[in-house]
Amino acid sequence: MSKFTSAMVDDYADKLLIGLSKEENDLVLKEFDIIDENMQKIANMEGIESVEAMTHALDDFTYDLREDIAKDSIAIEDLLKNCDNYEDREISVPKVIE
Amino acid sequence: MTELSIEKLHELLINGEVSSDELVKEAIEKSKKLQKKCNPFVTIIEDAEGKKVTDNLLSGIPYGIKDNYSTKGILSTGSSNTLKDYVPFFDATAVVNLKKAGVVAVNKTALDEFGMGGTGTTAHTGIIKNPWDINRMCAGSSSGSACAVASGVYPFALGSDTGDSIRKPAAFCGIVGYKPTYGMISRYGLFPFASSLDHCGVLTRSVKDAAIVVDAMKGKDDKDLTTWDSSNINLYDSIDGKVQGKKLFYIKEIVDLDNYPNASDELKKHLSIFNDSIENLRKLGVVINEISIDKNLLNVIPSVYVCISCAEATSNLSNLTGIIFGPRGKGKTYIDMMKDYRTNGFSPLIKRRLVIGSYILQKENQERYFVNAGRVRRLIVDKMKELFKEYDGLILPVSTGIAPYLDGSKDELSKDDTAILEEHLQIGNFGGFPSITIPNGFIDNMPVGINVTGNCFDDANVLNIAYALESTMNYKGMIAGGNNEI
Amino acid sequence: MKYKAVIGLEMHCEIKSNSKVFSSAKNEYDELPNCNVSEIDMAFPGMLPVLNKECVRKALLASLVLGCKQPDYIYFDRKNYYYPDLPKGYQITQMHAPIGVDGKLVIDVNGKEKEVLIHDIHLEEDSASLDHYSDATLIDYNRCGVPLLELVTEPCLNSAEEAVAFLETIRRIYQYCDISDADTKKGQIRCDVNVSIMNEEDKTLGTKVEMKNVNSFSNVYDTIIYEIERQSKLKDSGRYDEVIQETRRFDEETGTTIRMRGKVDAVDYKYFVEPNIPKYKLNNKWLEEIKKSIPMLPKDRKKMYIEKYLLSEYDANIIIKERITADYFEKCVILGINPKTAANWLIVQIVAYLNKNDIELKDFYLQPEYLKQITDAQEKGIISSKQAKEIFNKSLEEKREPNNYISMDNGQISDEKELNILIENILSNNTKQIEEYKNGKTNLFDYFVGQVMKETKGKANPIVTKKILKDKLDN
Repeated sequence: MSKFTSAMVDDYADKLLIGLSKEENDLVLKEFDIIDENMQKIANMEGIESVEAMTHALDDFTYDLREDIAKDSIAIEDLLKNCDNYEDREISVPKVIE
Repeated sequence: MTELSIEKLHELLINGEVSSDELVKEAIEKSKKLQKKCNPFVTIIEDAEGKKVTDNLLSGIPYGIKDNYSTKGILSTGSSNTLKDYVPFFDATAVVNLKKAGVVAVNKTALDEFGMGGTGTTAHTGIIKNPWDINRMCAGSSSGSACAVASGVYPFALGSDTGDSIRKPAAFCGIVGYKPTYGMISRYGLFPFASSLDHCGVLTRSVKDAAIVVDAMKGKDDKDLTTWDSSNINLYDSIDGKVQGKKLFYIKEIVDLDNYPNASDELKKHLSIFNDSIENLRKLGVVINEISIDKNLLNVIPSVYVCISCAEATSNLSNLTGIIFGPRGKGKTYIDMMKDYRTNGFSPLIKRRLVIGSYILQKENQERYFVNAGRVRRLIVDKMKELFKEYDGLILPVSTGIAPYLDGSKDELSKDDTAILEEHLQIGNFGGFPSITIPNGFIDNMPVGINVTGNCFDDANVLNIAYALESTMNYKGMIAGGNNEI
Repeated sequence: MKYKAVIGLEMHCEIKSNSKVFSSAKNEYDELPNCNVSEIDMAFPGMLPVLNKECVRKALLASLVLGCKQPDYIYFDRKNYYYPDLPKGYQITQMHAPIGVDGKLVIDVNGKEKEVLIHDIHLEEDSASLDHYSDATLIDYNRCGVPLLELVTEPCLNSAEEAVAFLETIRRIYQYCDISDADTKKGQIRCDVNVSIMNEEDKTLGTKVEMKNVNSFSNVYDTIIYEIERQSKLKDSGRYDEVIQETRRFDEETGTTIRMRGKVDAVDYKYFVEPNIPKYKLNNKWLEEIKKSIPMLPKDRKKMYIEKYLLSEYDANIIIKERITADYFEKCVILGINPKTAANWLIVQIVAYLNKNDIELKDFYLQPEYLKQITDAQEKGIISSKQAKEIFNKSLEEKREPNNYISMDNGQISDEKELNILIENILSNNTKQIEEYKNGKTNLFDYFVGQVMKETKGKANPIVTKKILKDKLDN
């Protein structure tokens, strides 16, 4: 029996603000099982917990931080060009109730 | 003429035998025809004009841009409905650099939505077909770019590669696909899939062309902290074909036929073609050894990839809410509005991957999935780096054979024993290694490819080996269906 | 108080810099919406964060001053959640390796010392601001990406007084180190406050209640007082189980706290390392440079003012309240003004002038060099204290150096010869009064001074005048 359920999948999707169809949900379940099986193999690897996880492609990397120089703002026309709903200079969304 | 190499086109342009305008026009005409046949483009830039020809090898030459690169004033969709009308106000750095070289963009190529797929079937503009056989896939996600370059629309097109998205479609379309070391080309303006695995790169019809294009694309960029100074590297100039004494290895657990008791004829043929290539290189004086790597480590590569890439993607695609760009969703509250936009905008494949990513990142699951995946990533990369101390590169066949039929194509994780042969190119993304695929033969009139991957920053060496191998075969500059009409 | 209160604070403070923490857009407040915005701040597809060195430097400075440990590598994490003020869908912050951990700071609470333990201090970015209207919410991205320093204390404070004293101390440190203007009026500081209560002898902490986004120190004070009382009342009446782990907010109008959400509704932020910012190795050389740049902090300055400059504690407290005041004072002392004189001018004249005219010390015309012209003249007896005040005002009014008034129209008569003649003259006309004086009516001395002043329209140097008069009358 899988430890994953449709309800769980729907819940995760919902947290991502995504709705899933029944078929989509089923496919996720199937893939979860394969991943979980492989991850179990990983969890069983000896000494795995002492390995430092790799988080960047090049992790022995040196670089310079950005100097603190301000640049001009992007023109408001460009900022709003792709927006479907704005008022004057601001982007508008349905009222957010605090 | 656009089926010729960059060097040849440059010669013709300089000698005045053809103009940049003529090349651009030809590329646009070919694009239109190919669009009907294979559907590889999101946008054809019909008003593109030729540019001044200079000493720069690339000046005046037409090319294609994968639609997940931001292009100023030109629709950039990532092949997703979420961005179906998005017109950026800035160019990706790689595009800026190429513009400086004097190239002319003639189209934006379709991809698996946001690069998150390997079939070329999830673009919002429809399925992309393989120019060698329109019933087959190009693989992905740089499907449109591979299709167009293989069809001779132009000598090169931009790609991006998170798992194998340049290098596998290159193999399935009979062309060259090269992703340089991570950070050699800026990712500024590339729509992200999984930031720690994403690479910019190029699809061409020869190794030298790949070197010329990446020389123009690369460079340290103030807008991408992960870039590094490669001004001392000149890929094109360093190709000399001298490989005597170079050392390569292949992995026994991936290429030994004994690993596949139920091997198909196609797989057998594919591995035999691989062995032919190995022999060709040995004849050039390259030392090639068989290396054995813990099968347990290799077998989990696809799952490690899924964990890391889906997790990062979940977060990377969170800016897609329809608020600042993209078509506004419907809904009385901002949550309903965002949910409507995302539910209708993403294809089923992406949704699945995002949900998996979200699950993996949940606090209670992170250690088991995401963190452990990062740990195995390190073990694999460390193993490779250790081998790269002795060897100039890893050489392996790409995929299990030729491009599969579109019918019944899936993009799901499989439990097959061939999974590692199918997915091993992901190693190149784990470590940010330079990696190049070139065509090395045909099975049933469909091309297959071979890959060379080397150590970080050692791109020139990797390209030179690939160039030497290319020179032993007759697949350089191939056009799907011959040099005639599309 | 019947129960022991346990309080923890999270203090967010905007860092002062030219540009934002991950983009080159201006880090500056502006009324005009969306005029300090880059493509990075609004998360257009393909944008990457580019870490600002100055923000890292200031965060490290804070980390050092607060006695924290610095990490070997600086890197960031993504905090993932959906909200219209967060264009990327995640905030870049530091969870795995904050820029400072395990710090400690001794503060002064009404004359008593209190050690406050600092859990961590980290660098992160601010969100956009939302303007709520009746039918819609409008988004202004000017604030989006502004650098924030978040300081988290251990739950080690025990009263509203301690909490506010701590916040005041930190605010002052940030100002002294030029990390931030730390202006609560401009919304540069926001706090989250955790409060729980327990019996004095209890070993385990009570149920923690969190108040989010308290935006002034007086509100922090009121929040804590209210929450302790609310929880105590429930505990008194045997209903402590009604105190639940939840998030509340402080309502300024009613002075109460109101429930926002419970613990079960808590969001899982799915933190993971930001892959676009490589791990940045901290080198000792840079850390040493930053360490050297730490200015003398208010606590040490106060000590110096009292012990070396012999100011009263009261005066010292006023002067260290703002760094700019303390700097002004020290400049005066370096220039050679008597510390007590400088302190008096600063606390009495200057502060009154600033308040009356509603200007700030940084915009104040009479910089220490100019003040010295006045105090020098006064000390030498060239001008009287009354004249000094007049020159002070006149100089400010006309924005001209005090020297202009000291040497010219306000010029005193200090010439002894000239005064001698003048005084001889006056004395010869007041023989009767001289007689009385010599017979013991010594308070007539002031009468003579007055006569000299009358004659000179107040311009006679009082010190010289008194000296001559004394010579002539007493001999």
